[in-house]
Amino acid sequence: MIKKFLKYNPFNTSTLIKLLTLSLMKKIKLRPLFLMALFFVQCSVDDAGSIVELSQNLNSEKTQDVLNTGSGDSVVSNQTVTASSFDHQAMLINWADNIIIPSISIFENALYELKSKALDHVDSPTAVTLSNLRDAWLNGYLKWQYVEMFDIGIAEEIYYKNRINLYPANSNKIESNIASLDYNLDASSNFTAQGFNGLDYLLFGIAEDDTEILNKYSAPELNYSTYLIDLIDEMIELTNQVSDSWDDEFRDSFINSTENTATSSINKVINDFIFYFEKGFRANKIGIPAGIFSDRPLPDRVEAYYAKVYSKLLATEATKAIKNFFNGSGREDENLTGLGISDYLDYIEIDNESKLSRKINDQLETIELKLAELNPDFSVQVVQDNLPMLYAYDVIQANVVLLKVDMLQKLNINVDYADADGD
Amino acid sequence: MFKFIQNYYSNKNAHPASLAFFRITFGGLMFFSTLRFWSKGWIETLYIKPSYHFKYFGFEWVDDFGSLTYLLFIMCLITSLFVMLGYKYRVSMISFFFIFTYIELIDKTTYLNHYYLTSCLAFILCFLPAGNYFSLDSYFSGQKADRIPIWMVDVLKLFICIVYFYAGIAKINSDWLLDAQPLSLWLKSKYDLPLIGQNLMQLKATHYLASWFGMLYDVLIPFFLLYTRTKYIAFVFVIVFHVLTRVFFPSIGMFPYIMISSAVIFFDSSIHLKLLSFIKTTLVKINSFFKFKIKPFRTKVKTKTIQPNRLIFISLGCFLIIQLLFPLRYLLYPGELFWNEQGYRFSWRVMLVEKRGDITFKVKDSVSETFFYVKNEDFLTPFQEKQMSFQPDFILEFARHLGAFYKAKGYEHIQIFANSFVALNGRPSQRFIDPRFNLLKARESFYNKNWILPLNDEIKGL
Repeated sequence: MIKKFLKYNPFNTSTLIKLLTLSLMKKIKLRPLFLMALFFVQCSVDDAGSIVELSQNLNSEKTQDVLNTGSGDSVVSNQTVTASSFDHQAMLINWADNIIIPSISIFENALYELKSKALDHVDSPTAVTLSNLRDAWLNGYLKWQYVEMFDIGIAEEIYYKNRINLYPANSNKIESNIASLDYNLDASSNFTAQGFNGLDYLLFGIAEDDTEILNKYSAPELNYSTYLIDLIDEMIELTNQVSDSWDDEFRDSFINSTENTATSSINKVINDFIFYFEKGFRANKIGIPAGIFSDRPLPDRVEAYYAKVYSKLLATEATKAIKNFFNGSGREDENLTGLGISDYLDYIEIDNESKLSRKINDQLETIELKLAELNPDFSVQVVQDNLPMLYAYDVIQANVVLLKVDMLQKLNINVDYADADGD
Repeated sequence: MFKFIQNYYSNKNAHPASLAFFRITFGGLMFFSTLRFWSKGWIETLYIKPSYHFKYFGFEWVDDFGSLTYLLFIMCLITSLFVMLGYKYRVSMISFFFIFTYIELIDKTTYLNHYYLTSCLAFILCFLPAGNYFSLDSYFSGQKADRIPIWMVDVLKLFICIVYFYAGIAKINSDWLLDAQPLSLWLKSKYDLPLIGQNLMQLKATHYLASWFGMLYDVLIPFFLLYTRTKYIAFVFVIVFHVLTRVFFPSIGMFPYIMISSAVIFFDSSIHLKLLSFIKTTLVKINSFFKFKIKPFRTKVKTKTIQPNRLIFISLGCFLIIQLLFPLRYLLYPGELFWNEQGYRFSWRVMLVEKRGDITFKVKDSVSETFFYVKNEDFLTPFQEKQMSFQPDFILEFARHLGAFYKAKGYEHIQIFANSFVALNGRPSQRFIDPRFNLLKARESFYNKNWILPLNDEIKGL
């Protein structure tokens, strides 16, 4: 044996394989190996059998649903969850075709509607046109809640979410932009002077009451109309970019990137989802106004501050968007549910009685209940009685733990911005 | 007994080729892994960029040198190269040990068992005459060793045996063997491996088999490597096992390569000679191909027998005894080791648990009762935050850092509380640190940290 080993060049892999085979044949009796293999096969068969039954019961309904979505070209795989595997690509297809792309296009259409209402208003400002414009603004803002969490691809590159929904708006900056008409909306210093919160200021904050606001729009030399249209055009332009980026090629690469790596679609989307839940939702909408990160509440940090009454509505809509995405519900029709994170979790926890997906859904419902108890205007709530706001924060934080700790552990997905070796 | 030790001590039956080959692979691997570390940009992201470093208890004085930290790594590269070539071996080896260990001490966030392994091996190599054979030192001096005391080779073998054995018995616990955790979680997520990802990796049987095989491998491999008749087949297992770990867990980095190359030390010196002569013929070929005209080894070289040294013998003996005892220190602490992590590090617990956490710190004014939460990311990198979230000594250190920070900003009467949740090996997350305990009241020490809440479960085992 030793001589044999010496004869070979040890750096050659084929030598090693030869050596391995030789030593296996000569030195080791094959019986234990054979027994082990037998045991292994036995176990697998047992396992597979029971899982097939279970998953067939679990998923027959779901598969049906997915197939019935009728989105002709998107071939939703009918082997969604089989014996002992989960169809990651089917989940990605559901995300792309039934959730992300429709969310963007619904939002895009809402912006076109907003633009046309804005043009009406600019043409001849009246109480009616202003009210229509505000409705279109709110409608767009609600649709945006379904888009913000998908900070991938072009959206990430152009700082889409920061340009559409960074708050609080900087009213001084906006006023000086309007006064000078010399501004570059692409500059990061202007991110707080545009988007929905820029519009919020333009529609609700430029004067004490509606009459005065209308007066300002009736005087073209004051430039409010120009800035209004510019902001909306910019939002449309950005949204077109994002929407166009989801062409066939990008969609294909998205749905084919099924691996579990830092740059794969699944990991990026789930990381973005959690990041959004923690920052965009928990901190921005509730935590910061409630003074979680400061000595005292900060009422001017609420979403849509100048419109006053919409911060709760927007947060509630965001909760719904989060819930729908988590469960894989389609954007156009919530009842058309495809594979989502909750199904992926259920597959991993196929042997567990208490399911994490159930816990997360329950917690999301608790969040909805806590939000429902709040004043429609969070800036009023934090000043009058901050305690309910803190309670709402706590139940959201509890879900951050479920998503970030429990869920990421089950899915064995790394937080994508922490890179180093591990053991 | 004494006589036995006496005889063993003066037994000079080992060949210097064994140490020479070990030195070459060790130096080479260190050179390569330092380059790899650099190329990944980790010098910047792990050592220079963080404004705050987590310190090892007793080594708070170790710090990075800003962009001069690169100098440390350059020195690390040079010394490891010199070690490989056997140039000014003793000085290079000792410098390498100190520089490498210094780098590791900068921030305990980056702690990895194989960095500690590297430091330990480097420490042992400082004492051994590994530069007297097949080295530039002996090329220039015309002198080479012919025999060396056998214990100078055995110490490396024994140390590697300790590493394996402790890694193995750490796996003898109910989570690993009875629930196949955390391998179950880890292997299921390898669905993207070609051929086996969607089937084999998803099977429970695979998870159990891998767990048991891993445990048995670690516990038994030292004995098979030591026993003459099994060492060759054992080495095949070493390669298969470590290559597999590298395939399944790419983030394990250099560890498999270090273990595979270290295990070569268990072979007979005749094999090491053979390997060295392979290197030699390659070098000669390169030399003649490029017509470098480098003179080959002098044919007439003086040989010298390395004499045993009592001081080195005792030092290395003590080192091994410490290595045997140190991993057992966890027995002195109450509570679940995997949860509390008191005595977890420096004990060869490799790829043993899956743990994740989330933590936020509440800074409270004890007089006005007002409070706010800290944004960890204002102070820490994502990697530091992640490592801190489930390790109590990190949590305490950071809380005290926050205390000092806010006191310096003029806050008085402050208290710091942790709102922290951790999940271990697939269990549901549960509260980790007593939320009513003001962390500023505690101080890092070897005493039990009684402000860690107990795990709501029992893990049986060693």
